Amino acid sequence: MKIAGLLLTVLLPAGMACAQNALDCRIAPGWEASGPIRQYTAENLFDYKDGAAEGYLSYGFARMSSIDCKSGSDTLTIDLSEMNDADAAYGLFTSNRDSQLPIAKIGMAGQIQPQSASFAKGKYYVEIVEVAANAEADHTALMKAFATGIEQRLEGRETLPEALLWFPKENLDTVRLVPESVLGLKLLKRGYVAKYSQGQAFVVLEATPESAAEVMKKLRERFSGATSAQIGDEAFQAKAPYLDGICVFRKGRYLAGYANLPDAQQAASLAAKLAARLP
Amino acid sequence: MSSNTSRRDFLSAAISAGLALPVLGASSAMGQQHSAKSAASPVKLDYRTLGRTGLKVTTVGMGCMITSDPSVVARAADLGINYFDTARGYQHGNNERMVGAALGAKRKQIVLSTKSEAPNKEELQKQLETSLRELNTDYIDIWFLHAKDNVADVTDELIEVQQRAKKEGKIRFAGVSTHKPLQLLPWMAQKGVFDVALTVYNFTMDASMDQAVEVAAKAGIGVVGMKVMAGGMHQQKPGDPLYKKLTQDGAMLSALKWVINRPNITTTIPSMTDMYQLDENLRAMGNPLSASDEKLLTAHLDAIRPLYCRLCGQCDGDCQKGLPVADVLRFLTYADGYGQFALGRERFLELSAEHRAVRCGDCADCTVKCPHGVQVARRMARAQELFA
Repeated sequence: MKIAGLLLTVLLPAGMACAQNALDCRIAPGWEASGPIRQYTAENLFDYKDGAAEGYLSYGFARMSSIDCKSGSDTLTIDLSEMNDADAAYGLFTSNRDSQLPIAKIGMAGQIQPQSASFAKGKYYVEIVEVAANAEADHTALMKAFATGIEQRLEGRETLPEALLWFPKENLDTVRLVPESVLGLKLLKRGYVAKYSQGQAFVVLEATPESAAEVMKKLRERFSGATSAQIGDEAFQAKAPYLDGICVFRKGRYLAGYANLPDAQQAASLAAKLAARLP
Repeated sequence: MSSNTSRRDFLSAAISAGLALPVLGASSAMGQQHSAKSAASPVKLDYRTLGRTGLKVTTVGMGCMITSDPSVVARAADLGINYFDTARGYQHGNNERMVGAALGAKRKQIVLSTKSEAPNKEELQKQLETSLRELNTDYIDIWFLHAKDNVADVTDELIEVQQRAKKEGKIRFAGVSTHKPLQLLPWMAQKGVFDVALTVYNFTMDASMDQAVEVAAKAGIGVVGMKVMAGGMHQQKPGDPLYKKLTQDGAMLSALKWVINRPNITTTIPSMTDMYQLDENLRAMGNPLSASDEKLLTAHLDAIRPLYCRLCGQCDGDCQKGLPVADVLRFLTYADGYGQFALGRERFLELSAEHRAVRCGDCADCTVKCPHGVQVARRMARAQELFA
């Protein structure tokens, strides 16, 4: 057993080997592991998560360690995912969290529910899911104990991604990282989308100002009837099916704007405020 | 097409003859075609009847699992796609909420399916109520028991909840989704309580898959195909010569066209994340599988030829240790070809202890040769290394 453990540690990247120590079922009194830690990579994640694996992969998944814990007849599973970076971990959290429930301060952000918990800290994303005999059972305290216990054993950033500071707070509903096709547009590959009580804002970061300008050019061609606006380095506004009033601007290598507003002028007005907040 | 004919032979023969495939192009004979009214451009829509449900659905549906933006769902509905699939578990429930909001007033004009992985009746009932609430609807057209890969997992109590929901009008039709159709589809056909099956299905699969689908279809079960490219893409990794070709624009369309032109598949649910993918997938309807589509798919099958046993039954010679070579290679295909390691291993472990103990590396020379070029000894050794 010791040899197997040593071998596992040698085979895993150093960071993940340390992080794996966080997978300790004994965090909560009366709980113990009911099997060995399982390892998954992008190659075999489908075997475990089925189609849901696509969600992990789209956000930049590196590897996962998973363990089953038991206490009497109750069981729970802890999945510790290592993502490519902290933004990816936070992004996966925002994709999976229940947007109608409050955020808890666990790591960068977390969420505790009666039979599950999740949080992101540094490049790690953790999910704890209980398989309770009684679907109505409220094990919020247990979920919190596991989440905070694991979080304390993990190293990594606890501050939210800088992108969250860019979006104006007034009437802000949720902010999430969309891994591809922001606003349903293939040209906007990956970026943050903030949903407001009316409309949505987005920020996409391109590699260089030149590549951003190229995307901007193609975007403008897509929106027939677009007119220029004076925001950032270049901007346009338009009225479009499905996206309603939209304004897109480029500031350096940032592509950003507002969509789904009643008219393009309103989108442009809000976009100007967003531009002022971007670096 | 004879069910015994290998898929690759079939594709190759068609290409060498320079012909469009008559059976593959049978959709217009089986279904109906209409032009959707669209602000963008007219889209030809193919419809088929989903088994005993009688529902007329477009052959290209929309898998919403990884769709982030509701505008893509809304536009798909506006363009005429009328089958939408989500699940309680997708994006931890956020997906159902997004789909429900995006479809809005179009709800009654479309066929909406969702799924639950709940393992017991209490949880299943609870998830149904949650799905109805999140999808903002008072009925679900097709409610699947999600990811059931063993017959034993489809318990009587789960079926009871489905049937009760049907009587109460909360769902219209009952289904099961599976990644192990060879096990589940024949069983579903016999069971007689399911209306729809959602199954993995793509161009790399062997004739046994078609037989299983046919059994289900003949029993009146509507068959929906998912992961239409997954099995094929699974073989290729970034850096492989064919990877770029298969991931380039158009490859997905070829694979999708192949599936929707199969005789017993009613509709498909390719994932779509943006307008471009939506527009491309729509082109699968109303366009026959072309020679270039076939060439691309055949190229992929060529790439996996040394690996891929198509169960043609034409093995030259018998194993001196008595191993069922084709079966073991099939188990390996489950793992390597479809990403179904668990199924492959499960099947391997059903072999006799004597057969499980054989190691092909112990033989000086393999007496079994494949007429299609499968490297039998090497692949058998891999199966033993992987499963034993």
